[in-house]
Amino acid sequence: MHKIWNFHGGVHPNENKTQSNQLPIVVMPTPKQLVLPLSQHIGKAAKAIVEPGDYVLKGQLIASAQGFISANIHAPSSGHVSAIVERTLPHQSALSGPCIIIDTDGKDQWVELNPPTNPEYLSKQELLNLIHAAGITGMGGASFPSTVKLQLKSDIHTLIINAAECEPYITADDRLMREYADQIIASIQLLQQLLGHPQCLIGIEDNKPEAIAALNLALSHNIGQHTNIEVCVIPTKYPSGGEKQLIEILTGHQVPHGGIPANIGIVCQNVGTVKAIFDAIFKGQPLIKRITTVTGKAAANAGNYEVLIGTQVEDLLAFANVDMAKTSRLVMGGPMMGFTIQDTQTPLVKGSNCILAAADLELAPVADHHACIRCGQCEVACPVDLLPQQLFWFAKAEEFEKAEDHNLSDCIECGACAWVCPSQIPLVQYYRYAKGRVKSLASEAHIAELSRIRFESREQRLINDKLAKEEKRKNRAVAAAAAQAAKRAANPNAEDPIAAALARVNAQKQAKEADAAPKSHAEIYKELKTAAAITRTKLNKTSKALANAQTKDHELAQDLQASVSELTAKAVEAQAKLQAYEAKLGLDPEKEKILLVAVAKTNATIRKLEKTLATAEDAQALEEEITQAKAAHQIAAQALADHQVTPTAKPASAQES
Amino acid sequence: MALVNLSSPHHHNLSKTSRLMMWVLLATLPGLAAQSYFYGYGTLINLIWASGLALGFEALVLGLRNRPIVPYLTDGSALVTAFLLALALPPFSPWWLTLVAVLFSIVFAKHLYGGLGNNPFNPAMVGYALCLIAFPVSMTQWAGTEATLTFGQQWHWFWLESVTGGIDAWTRATPLDLMRHTKGLTLNELAISNPQLGLGLTASMWVNLAYLLGGLVLLAKRVFTWHAPVAMLASLGFCAGLFHMGEPDLYPSASQHLLTGATMLAAFFIVTDPVTSATSRKGKLVFGAGVGLLVYIIRSYGNYPDAFAFAILLMNLSAPLIDTYTQPKAYGHKPSRAPSQGDKQ
Repeated sequence: MHKIWNFHGGVHPNENKTQSNQLPIVVMPTPKQLVLPLSQHIGKAAKAIVEPGDYVLKGQLIASAQGFISANIHAPSSGHVSAIVERTLPHQSALSGPCIIIDTDGKDQWVELNPPTNPEYLSKQELLNLIHAAGITGMGGASFPSTVKLQLKSDIHTLIINAAECEPYITADDRLMREYADQIIASIQLLQQLLGHPQCLIGIEDNKPEAIAALNLALSHNIGQHTNIEVCVIPTKYPSGGEKQLIEILTGHQVPHGGIPANIGIVCQNVGTVKAIFDAIFKGQPLIKRITTVTGKAAANAGNYEVLIGTQVEDLLAFANVDMAKTSRLVMGGPMMGFTIQDTQTPLVKGSNCILAAADLELAPVADHHACIRCGQCEVACPVDLLPQQLFWFAKAEEFEKAEDHNLSDCIECGACAWVCPSQIPLVQYYRYAKGRVKSLASEAHIAELSRIRFESREQRLINDKLAKEEKRKNRAVAAAAAQAAKRAANPNAEDPIAAALARVNAQKQAKEADAAPKSHAEIYKELKTAAAITRTKLNKTSKALANAQTKDHELAQDLQASVSELTAKAVEAQAKLQAYEAKLGLDPEKEKILLVAVAKTNATIRKLEKTLATAEDAQALEEEITQAKAAHQIAAQALADHQVTPTAKPASAQES
Repeated sequence: MALVNLSSPHHHNLSKTSRLMMWVLLATLPGLAAQSYFYGYGTLINLIWASGLALGFEALVLGLRNRPIVPYLTDGSALVTAFLLALALPPFSPWWLTLVAVLFSIVFAKHLYGGLGNNPFNPAMVGYALCLIAFPVSMTQWAGTEATLTFGQQWHWFWLESVTGGIDAWTRATPLDLMRHTKGLTLNELAISNPQLGLGLTASMWVNLAYLLGGLVLLAKRVFTWHAPVAMLASLGFCAGLFHMGEPDLYPSASQHLLTGATMLAAFFIVTDPVTSATSRKGKLVFGAGVGLLVYIIRSYGNYPDAFAFAILLMNLSAPLIDTYTQPKAYGHKPSRAPSQGDKQ
């Protein structure tokens, strides 16, 4: 007997497996239409190599893998490709993605299959090529392309076959092992050959006695050969079928944080995947079908069905006699980690192990959740040894750094914490949210870092350009001076051309000034006023900028401080000049103000009278008044003009009017 | 039927916070019975009075905070606080003392910090500590065991005489108090000179055993894990044993410490309050051990005969610090044993 270890935590939900594991697997007839998403696996989407209208045979390649982590997709039955369109994908988000639609013709005609005659003699690379060509991905749910795991360069000492099937309700692997045990064992032997003959441990929960017996029987057929395969019966406890948990149960080792099982010499494969590899290598058949459990109280014929990949959920539900009027919650996958779907035309893909058509109240009702009292039941249940209650508080408070410190990223979202929570808090939802935010914050930080680097290198480039220009200019100046010197040396009596040019410019300037008409007092006064106003405005603006900068940018503030003092000096100077000129002219700003007011007043009177005129009856009298007012206005304006131009203390007649 | 969109898990074990609280309430009953048997109806009257007050205050504050009243009131947390206070208060505490304690526990210690789940300090212990400081005489007069009042007498006393009359006729110092103020006598001499001590110790022992029974029920029902209570009892027992070995005449033995005062009540009903204690299992061990140590220190050298309120409040203060240093190593973070060829079988 192989030693079995325990892992921390875990829960024991009602298994609910007998509803679906009593009857043999039923082959579902080919549906009328198949929907094949180009992305059914983790990694890059496959690329369609067929066009709408093409006729395809069963097993024909219709989309090819792109890159290392990707998988081929084959036609599950013969028929015409009717379209390549966006359809709802089997995912919690219910987002849509490109799918190849095949209208089947019912002939189910195979493409020519070429299974190798002696698989035992195939080389490692030949086996990998066959598995890759067949488009095989993990069938347990995550759908990771299988060849990636099988061709790692690490030294593998243990191959673990995951047959735990720990989620309640699901029995697809259970039935598969009961009915295809021989094929599974044969396939395992091939995998051992491929991986350099490691020991193989099949991890299976003790709630599947028939499957255990079937596997042991299949092993006994191989008696005499040294198989190095052991069926390890483990206690039923959710989530023992989690890859990391199963590794701990069977080997006592933990996959290091951030690492993969191969780091500790282990490769894990789901038992369904092993069966698919058998079909690929012994029969030459690509992965085009799988076993899917249909269960739940709304399913009249609960059981396991062999379905073609791409079968739409509603077709399978109809075949299993699911009463859609009775179900309000359609879960794809198990009740602990599965996701609900609303679009019944969603296709089944390579990883779809179960459709749970739950009747009302069959699953936990949606309860209002209460406050967390840190009772710690979640901590007892967590298979990863996290502190779920702390993670919850951190996620709620958006303290993502603390959540990361508490190893949020190690959470496998198994749902054990939420299952036990007496306050019925949807804990996993909080963790998913926090994980998403951590991811987006990290990418934002990454982008900011890139921008910073870009900005800094641009600044450096500009400085370098400037320096280079300066250098060039200096070189040119030196060269020019040298040339001058050479010229002078050649002709020592010649006039210095620079001095000559300067003299010319000065002469021109003087001539211009002489030519210019003498400015009137009014013009000079206006100029001085404008200059004073401009310097004031500049000073105001700079002071404002300074106030702004003081809180933020120290260097800038210093620069601004300097220019403010400079501008203050200038403003004072301009104001002084203006006042001096005013004094020289004998201008009295006070009087000017009074005159201005008088002008405005008379103006207003005219306007008012004109307005009244429009509606008045006695127009003549009004017109007279207007003429008088206009005259007063003219007098006032004249007085103002006189005052502004002539520097005399002559009283303005405006005052009298 | 319309299909709902929900996030996993879709399953739940259907446990409820209110059921946990109900178990805690039920588990106090043996202790309540023992306390009433030895000290009269005072505790029972207090319990009823405190429960009514707690529910009233809880509803009032929930209303003020615009929170749904019925779902929060039925979670049972206010009742638990009331029960713990009533059991911890002396049987001869007057009605107004209980009122002050409950008011402070529910309104100040619990709801002003955000209500259930958000209070940093154990509400019952905050109320208790406040009364202990404000009304030391009423709080340290424990009931005598030799003659208990009838229910009617006790009822009358609780409402009326407690305000006007003295209580010296029916109350005694607790055994812990007696053993601390030995007036130069050895513990043996003290026991001989004061027959009250032996009677008090016996009563106290039975009450503590009753609480232990209730605590074991809760442990079996997995309302809490063993870590905090066991650590607390072990640490208190260890300290007491150590000093008793050195000076048996001065220091009471470990069993006397474990079976007097509020030891078992605190170990299984107060130290285990999840909201205010440390979160991880390791953290709970540290938390419990800290309470035990502080209780021993205060009992032996402090000014108060019993020390749970202060010890627990001090450890409540330290809980965040303990949490920081006792985070468990998550899967894959333990230093891994290098898988060897020996694993091949």
